[in-house]
Amino acid sequence: MSRDSDGPGVAALGAYAPRRYVTGETVEAALGQFAASGVERTAVPEADEDTLTMAVEAARRALAAGGYEGDDLAYLAFATTTPPMEEADLTARLASVLGAPATLDTRTLTGSTRAGGQALDAAVDAGPWAEERGVGLVVASDAPRGAPDSAVEQAAGAGAAAVVLGDGPGRVEGRGSHVESYPGTRFRPAGAAETDGLDVTSYDRQAFSAALSGAVEGLDTEVDAAAVQSPDGKLPYRATGALGVDAETIAAGSTVEELGDTGAASTLLGAASARAEGAERVLVAAFGGGAGANAFTLDLAGVPVEATLDGDIELSYAAYLRRRGEITGGEPEGGGAYVSVPSWQRTTPQRHRLVAGRCPECGALNFPPEGACNDCTARVDYNRVELPGTGTVEATTTISQGGAPPEFVEQQARSGPFVAAVVALDGPDGGAASIPTQVLTGGGDVAVGDPVETTVRRVYEQEGVVRYGFKAQVCDAKR
Amino acid sequence: MRDAYVIGAGQTDFGAMPEESYRSLFETAYESAVDSVPDGFDGAAVDEAVVGNLGVGGRQLGLPGPAVTEHIGLHGVPCARVENACAASGYAVRQAVQAVRSGMADVVLAGGVEVFVGMSSGVTKYWLGVSGETEWERLTGTTFAGVYAQMASAYLDRYADATTEHLSMAAVKNHESGAKNPHAHLGFECSMDQAVGAPVVADPLNLYHCCPTSDGASVALVASEDVVGEYTDDPVRIAGVGAASDRVGLFQRDDYTAVEASTRAGEAAYEMAGVGPEAVDFAEVHDCFAIAELLAYEDLGFCGRGEAPRLLEEGETALDGGLPVNASGGLKSKGHPIGATGAGQVAEAFTQLTGQAGERQVEGATRGLTHNVGGSGGAAVVHVFEREEEVAR
Repeated sequence: MSRDSDGPGVAALGAYAPRRYVTGETVEAALGQFAASGVERTAVPEADEDTLTMAVEAARRALAAGGYEGDDLAYLAFATTTPPMEEADLTARLASVLGAPATLDTRTLTGSTRAGGQALDAAVDAGPWAEERGVGLVVASDAPRGAPDSAVEQAAGAGAAAVVLGDGPGRVEGRGSHVESYPGTRFRPAGAAETDGLDVTSYDRQAFSAALSGAVEGLDTEVDAAAVQSPDGKLPYRATGALGVDAETIAAGSTVEELGDTGAASTLLGAASARAEGAERVLVAAFGGGAGANAFTLDLAGVPVEATLDGDIELSYAAYLRRRGEITGGEPEGGGAYVSVPSWQRTTPQRHRLVAGRCPECGALNFPPEGACNDCTARVDYNRVELPGTGTVEATTTISQGGAPPEFVEQQARSGPFVAAVVALDGPDGGAASIPTQVLTGGGDVAVGDPVETTVRRVYEQEGVVRYGFKAQVCDAKR
Repeated sequence: MRDAYVIGAGQTDFGAMPEESYRSLFETAYESAVDSVPDGFDGAAVDEAVVGNLGVGGRQLGLPGPAVTEHIGLHGVPCARVENACAASGYAVRQAVQAVRSGMADVVLAGGVEVFVGMSSGVTKYWLGVSGETEWERLTGTTFAGVYAQMASAYLDRYADATTEHLSMAAVKNHESGAKNPHAHLGFECSMDQAVGAPVVADPLNLYHCCPTSDGASVALVASEDVVGEYTDDPVRIAGVGAASDRVGLFQRDDYTAVEASTRAGEAAYEMAGVGPEAVDFAEVHDCFAIAELLAYEDLGFCGRGEAPRLLEEGETALDGGLPVNASGGLKSKGHPIGATGAGQVAEAFTQLTGQAGERQVEGATRGLTHNVGGSGGAAVVHVFEREEEVAR
């Protein structure tokens, strides 16, 4: 079924995928077969990445592409089938990291890979969005998992895409939604970490076509690219008839060959990628097992996009299994240093947004902005300033394999030696604040004096709560 | 103000002693200290006791002081634990001096004890980093070796002539001396090749740039000038005491290539002693990591900034050099039982000044210095000791 939309504006797009990847050839050499049709390689999140941090990366790119700041946001819809925590409103942390106002209206969509489409649908319903009211942000981020020897896992990639809804220049022209009961097509049982499917080929294809054809009914699918749900690199091409598009058009809106199955992010990633290649009119066709579909026709002419999708670090099969946590032992017994969640929460402005304090007595920047001034030792009320996130390495070391503190043992088991440094982060109006942080190097070296920029990653996990915060990355090797 | 004197001091072997307990270790150190008092010592004379202890492993985290003093029969003697990370028992000695000088006590036991070995590797990982700044430094994944490695990175960046070989020279030197110390945890010599080729722990620091963690206990007996004559006629005077604190996290400090607390503590101790670094015959410095020994040379005025590598190249701080540093083997070779380390340095100074250091004896030693640091420089304490009779001559 289709319905006319109010024609809300699409202001900007962003996309992000992890830089590490494993190839189908590597998996085939290890396991004797590679079951993900049409997939060349899959993006693999680093141990300190998850769907929340990837969402941040995509959202920041979209906002930057459109020239927006976090405080321009009035609405946030977050879609994923693999939230880092099964229960907890992750939009609160996402909004905090992005610097969005607390009055922000938020939605979380999950439960099937069509969540990305549902999120866009929800954001359009809540619109129209415009600069004076604030803009809407849709972020779909996913990193599906299956059993290591399954087709689901072998296809499973990772990535995130974000859409800013505002005055334009693009428009959501038409949209449609459809459900039709097809139990047993792509599902994850309660409490399970791995997605599964009954793998009844003809039945799966039937569900896919039925739901998608229902969703696009009445839409004008004369498009430059069709971003079709891609659990692998073959199924989307089974929907040419249902969608009324040819294979070439689907290929133009696909990222599955290079990124793998990106679940709830699959279709918006395809749209952003197609836009980055110059596509103007794009069909978004999201599908979720069960089954249901959402379809949109988007006019993206003139819509700015910032996309970082190309993988540049190839992993061996063992390195990929380590990133997955399949062959690592978790935090050692004996416990770790304890900073309670409430005290961590107290430092949220620092962890999420680099809020420092300028001493009103001597002008020195202090991070965190509490206690006596590090420079003049006066006890003062700091003037809060947000650090832009650029800086320089002042002192650095690489913690060799096996040497990590307990809270970081699992990260090191998965990712290897990590750089721990003190970086001087630039102040907004001169000066700098020295801050300890890990530095992401993309596998290269880091030296005193190297320029860095910050991003947000998982810092560590304790008592079941993921602690997110800034990390630095070497500018020359940044993602 | 009354002068304070060390009338006796001793320590256990430092090392891995799973068969010992913190109480049995302390007892051994106490007996060793008592035996070292020239004219004999009776525990009944102790007015006050101060025990340095970090509490590694959480064995007796509350009241470890009374737990050990009662164990050795100092029944009823007021005792408190001093916690200042690796500088705990250096501060215990300082408190003993304060108690004597204030007139509140004539004889004070200042000691330290730590049991580090015997824990599972998981538990060890936790306790290894508890003295770093927790909320920001430790919880970015920075280990204790990592913080010193960061200091080393800044030092090597700042001084073009300084290399990791200079760091290894400190290790080789300390092992050479430690091999002559029967109490040493790692009492063997190592070659420059071994030191340079050791596996990397936290770049640029390798295994031989890092001290071990040890079990051990140490005790110093401090007496006032009013009673010192009852115990010896050749007393070791605590001529200077100095101590200082600094921000616990490296990132909070002004300079990563100096330990300001050491500089302040050293200046205070020199001033009180009325001498400068040139008047010191030997020093025991806190070389938890090799870079810390280089920084100590500069912080304590043994040389100018950036000149520590030259001192090592010239052998100035070797056992047969002009200013022997860490004749005991230092933390690197003798070992580092956290809470016992500072008083252990005092025991070495006493042994040297009383001419009982055997193969590692610094010839003609009449004035020595001890330097004990907590964490990566959040606390430092320096003492200057002198053989009063010799110095006066």
